[in-house]
Amino acid sequence: MPGMATLLPLIGCVFIAFVVGSNDTSNALGICIGCEILKFKKALCLFGPFVLLGAVLQGQKVMKTVGNDLLEVNFSILGVSLIVSALLIAFSNWKKLPLSTHQVIVGSFTGAGMASGIPVSMEFVAKIVLSWIVSPLGALFSALLIYKLMEKTLSRFSVFRIETILKSLLILCAIVIAYTTGANELATVLGGAVHGGLFSPTAASCGGALFVFLGALFLSPRVIETVGKGITTLDPYSGFAAQFGAATNVFIFTCLGMPVSTTFCIIGGIVGVGALKGMETVRFDLMRKMMLSWVAAPLLSFCICFIATKGLMFFPKGFFWV
Amino acid sequence: MLLKKLLAPGKKEKAVIEDLTRHIKLLCSGLDVFERAFRDKDRDLMASIIDLEREADVIRRDVISNIYEGAFLPYLRPRLCKFAEVIDCVFDLLEDAAYQYLDLVINASIQNYCTQIAALNGKIGEMLLLSFETLMGGGDLRDKALAIRVYEKKVDDIKLDLVRDLRKVEVKTFWDGKALSDFVSSLTSVSDIIEDASDYLQVINVSMR
Repeated sequence: MPGMATLLPLIGCVFIAFVVGSNDTSNALGICIGCEILKFKKALCLFGPFVLLGAVLQGQKVMKTVGNDLLEVNFSILGVSLIVSALLIAFSNWKKLPLSTHQVIVGSFTGAGMASGIPVSMEFVAKIVLSWIVSPLGALFSALLIYKLMEKTLSRFSVFRIETILKSLLILCAIVIAYTTGANELATVLGGAVHGGLFSPTAASCGGALFVFLGALFLSPRVIETVGKGITTLDPYSGFAAQFGAATNVFIFTCLGMPVSTTFCIIGGIVGVGALKGMETVRFDLMRKMMLSWVAAPLLSFCICFIATKGLMFFPKGFFWV
Repeated sequence: MLLKKLLAPGKKEKAVIEDLTRHIKLLCSGLDVFERAFRDKDRDLMASIIDLEREADVIRRDVISNIYEGAFLPYLRPRLCKFAEVIDCVFDLLEDAAYQYLDLVINASIQNYCTQIAALNGKIGEMLLLSFETLMGGGDLRDKALAIRVYEKKVDDIKLDLVRDLRKVEVKTFWDGKALSDFVSSLTSVSDIIEDASDYLQVINVSMR
């Protein structure tokens, strides 16, 4: 059933791109909309083109890592992995569990690949896992550095001037994160499909960016409201340091072709700024929950995909398995 | 040029800053008018305080409405609104004092104390304006805040003597006594509230750092 074999990964890609739009838009636009620097529609007009630009200009490296260097995907692996990822992401959204899209997709590909006997590059698995560890830590230190730098430079200005400068910097930050959403988040989703031969990189980038945009348009306002208002009422100064620290790290890892989570990097940045203000400001209960999700997401997706692939391999070749 | 334009405050922010400056300048005028009216026993001039309070109300409403429409980051908004409201409280006290003065005959034994307090209130108001201008320029507010506290302490000291002498003033009816007491209370509270406003400026100054 070649039709089914191409339809399932397509559905998976569309669904996950839509979810990236609905959930991860808040990473880029949450503060700007929460602070009323930009209205939702204007912010979205800024977000969409930069997601597309990121995917087209710099998405290839991450796509190659996920779809080619990690393992050579075929339609069957693609179908199982993306459908399992989509279901897991849908379940986590329904249960409000913070699962990272990157980790779920990489875990799924690895699980499906290992179960079907396709060689999985352990070197790349190690590199990706290492980048998942290093990127939030990098964001933590970057946020600390940015905060210190802001204290040394911005604090010389009047409070009203600082406020104006912060507004411009927050818009810049939103643009960088929108760009990395395309170059990293979306590229992770599309990597398998592009290197599995389902789409060309340009077509995948354009289509993916469109579904990210639609997800952002239809489902992100509530998430943005929660994240944006929650952060900005605290402190835009720290918020910017955390967000920009995360943005620079995701950008660096994107240049290296490593799929990393913007959300985890932002959390790293927030912890960095929080630690600077006193460890009592860091919510360790929430940190524990995030750490648990960090470990559980790739393991869970790996196990489910491994079992699902083994199960599907019992069917006659050609029925599903190509 | 582009950078300068990019870093310049927006229209709404500019309007709020201009309104707040106007609000404090109006307060200085109000305090000055009160002092002159009290010293010269000019009832017509004293009555003009009521108009100034109305004008200040309009400015406060403009400040709050501009902030409500999105001027400044949300983090700064409640503090700026609170500052405008505190300034408005000073106008309310000044207006109360002016109303009570119009119904009173001030005893000669407390006239001098009240004149001194009114003069000090004027100086505290000017210092608040200086503080606000320093805040806009990005300077250090601590010396201005200290000066306001010193003036406020002087008012408190005069108030002690004033209250002691006030007890010796003979009042004919309960309402005459109440009006006199309310007048003194309003006049001596002005410096307290301006000190609060100065503290708010300090909070605004450190809030974005």
